[in-house]
Amino acid sequence: MNLNFLSGRQIRKIREYITAYLMIAPATLLIFLFGIFPVGFALYVSLHKWRIKQGKFLGLTHYRKALGNLAHVLLFGLTAAALLGGYLLVRRIVKNVKEEGGRKDWLLLFPGALFSATVLAFVRWTILLLPEILAIADKIWGKEKTRELFARLLREAFFTPGVQGAWRLFLFLFAASILLLILLLYLIRSSRRFSQILNFTLIWIIVPVGLGLLWFNVQSIQSVYREAVAAGEDPGIWVQVITLTAGVLLLVASWFLWKSATHQTKTFAFVWRILAAISLMIGAWLLIGELPTVIAVGDEDMWTGLKVTVFYSLGTVPFQLAFSMFLAILLFQNLWGSDIFRMLYFLPYVTPTVASAAIFRQLFSNRYQAPMNQLFLKLGMEPQQWIREPQGVFSMLAETMGVTLPPWAGGPSLALVVIMIYSIWTYVGYDTVIYLAGLGNISTPLIEAAEIDGAGPWEKFRFIIFPLLSPTTYFLSLIAIIGTFKAFSHIWVMREASALGTTDTFSVVIFSEFFEKLRYGYASALAFVLFAIILSLTFINQRVQGSRVFYG
Amino acid sequence: MAKVKLFRASKTDSAATFFDRFRDVIQKLITYLFLLLGVVIAITPFVWMISTSLMSLGESLSIRWFPSSLHFENYLNAWREAQFSEYFINSVIITSITLIGQVTFSVLAAYAFARIDFPGRDLIFTVMLSTMMIPAMVIIIPNFLTVTWLGRIGPIKWINNWPALTIPFMGNVFSIFLLKQFFAQIPDELWDSARIDGAGHLRFLWTVVLPLSTAPLMVIVVLSFIGSWNALAWPLLVTNSPEWRPIAVGLNNFVDEAGQELNLMMAGAFITIIPILIIYFFTQKQFTESIARSGLKG
Repeated sequence: MNLNFLSGRQIRKIREYITAYLMIAPATLLIFLFGIFPVGFALYVSLHKWRIKQGKFLGLTHYRKALGNLAHVLLFGLTAAALLGGYLLVRRIVKNVKEEGGRKDWLLLFPGALFSATVLAFVRWTILLLPEILAIADKIWGKEKTRELFARLLREAFFTPGVQGAWRLFLFLFAASILLLILLLYLIRSSRRFSQILNFTLIWIIVPVGLGLLWFNVQSIQSVYREAVAAGEDPGIWVQVITLTAGVLLLVASWFLWKSATHQTKTFAFVWRILAAISLMIGAWLLIGELPTVIAVGDEDMWTGLKVTVFYSLGTVPFQLAFSMFLAILLFQNLWGSDIFRMLYFLPYVTPTVASAAIFRQLFSNRYQAPMNQLFLKLGMEPQQWIREPQGVFSMLAETMGVTLPPWAGGPSLALVVIMIYSIWTYVGYDTVIYLAGLGNISTPLIEAAEIDGAGPWEKFRFIIFPLLSPTTYFLSLIAIIGTFKAFSHIWVMREASALGTTDTFSVVIFSEFFEKLRYGYASALAFVLFAIILSLTFINQRVQGSRVFYG
Repeated sequence: MAKVKLFRASKTDSAATFFDRFRDVIQKLITYLFLLLGVVIAITPFVWMISTSLMSLGESLSIRWFPSSLHFENYLNAWREAQFSEYFINSVIITSITLIGQVTFSVLAAYAFARIDFPGRDLIFTVMLSTMMIPAMVIIIPNFLTVTWLGRIGPIKWINNWPALTIPFMGNVFSIFLLKQFFAQIPDELWDSARIDGAGHLRFLWTVVLPLSTAPLMVIVVLSFIGSWNALAWPLLVTNSPEWRPIAVGLNNFVDEAGQELNLMMAGAFITIIPILIIYFFTQKQFTESIARSGLKG
């Protein structure tokens, strides 16, 4: 009776699990297929020559083409990060062991190795299988698409010698891991056994991957050297790697020294600060001296794209935030019709991007009759080329005063400025709404207290509202800066050939490499560079700005 | 949300002098002046669009700001000759399929994540959440390859057909996240009593949970509608003929090719905007809040 009841409950539990898995299945499968798998696939594509069809394996060539020798330096950085991650994990395990006294935990090192070997074997199998699966589409070409034919080709792909070997290795390791896992669950009865096993497995994944990257990097550097020596040149990668690494390390050291100085007694603090300043200067000098020559080899389109994106960020984010903060503060007062104002401000943000960009394209058209040119004429100024003008605005301004600026000081092109204006016009409404929400969180007693103390409008803004809004500002600026790197649709619509690529931000450069030049492999490599930039921006923003934000 | 005057100590008592009241009025006037200036800047492009779309071709290219006579036939021309009817219908179909798929799948997944405790739940959910950081440009290329492959091996075409335009967007992490947050707040007592009455999970979801969650469902519908209606890069890739081209791509191509037919172009732009405008005016509050909360737009 009792047994029956138990098994009935277990059956119900298992049925519940199955229901849950079935419920998440469609969404999870789609998100995996179109959200997670593509990241690995993009990496795979970026390492190959790939123009519509897959070509030969190229290794780091695309990244070298984009970044020059910087690609190698960054890969060394990635290696260092992986090894550092491994070290941190070891430290966490040591701490756990010390706190809980579970000395036998070290034995988990071995099952961890097995588990990680299983994971890596699975990855190896997918990498070997992928080209075979992709080739099915070519094999099926021209034949009648029957289910039998597809099943047969799929079977053939699975049973390709190399793939099958990898599959068997994976199966063997997988079976062994399952057995070992069951065994472990019976042997270890500690509460944190799972996290401990996971930590060990992660170590065994991270460290070999890091070492593999190191080996791969050194190999590709050596092959570059071999080619260069044959051509009688000196690529100088090693020198550059050492100089740049030293520069970065010195900068990091100075940062740590500067931070530690605050904890020291006075003379010590002074010495630390001097040391920090010296290492900072040397590091910065090394970087400034070496970076341009390293980068100079890279892809000019990409660096222009990066420059354009930086201009675009600097030209939109501060203005957008300032205008919207101003409007939000005005709207926040008890005014008649503030809801209507809010709704109208939000309108540009809501309109389909393609439509509003098409309108702006015409407002800022180069035609003599276009609204903006008419406005300029009324104000007694020359009509402009606007969206077609590749010349920098600073140099245009200087020219009207009779000065010729050097090309590097030209600033963003007038075409890009139009896009900036569009961007500010679009996003002010959105930022205003968020600022209004932020203002709603400020407690009124604080402001009333300040009023009693005799604070005027400016003091209230400067010392209460502005600091208390800083979390909102932080959030908005992060979103906006990352947004400028992702910006695509409106720039694509407002892009003109005669602007000579001065409006092409990073995302647009990637898309045109892919869509117009059909370089799938290279575009994927650029996309990964973009991904890295966005990740590091988020990280830096959290580190630097996050510590300064005042959360009330 | 209690509204306060951030900038003025409100002196409404008898101590307020004429001068104080005068200053108050002036300040209010200046505030309204700035707010109205903002409105003018926000609205002018739309006004120009509408007025240009009603001009004759000659007028639209001249210096005029307002049409001398109203040419409503421009809309008819854009609708028929410039194929905006086709694009519009395509967009409606694409958006509806995406919407139905996304809402159904998200509701199911969010319910399981929120209310059933199954092995691997937190791990799967975390991995799914982490995909929100990935920029679209990274996954657009492999997704294009995948979709091409699927179309070449399978019985139905993917490129230049509805599957490529809709299926990749049916799994939406943000929708699942939003719904999960809401479903998790529904009290367990409801589930207990439903189970005593003999209801299973699906029945409970359909009869109890869904009627309670109209607000987050609305948010998801609105966001997914805008996302689908506004999408440019992906539809540009996977459509190469007007047959399945959505309206954003149609308008983009019209901008590239139309040359000087400014009045038609603006009529087309207005046709593109109308559905979003209607939704916006009807669901203004949820709309603003949902976008503000998500920080997203297509």
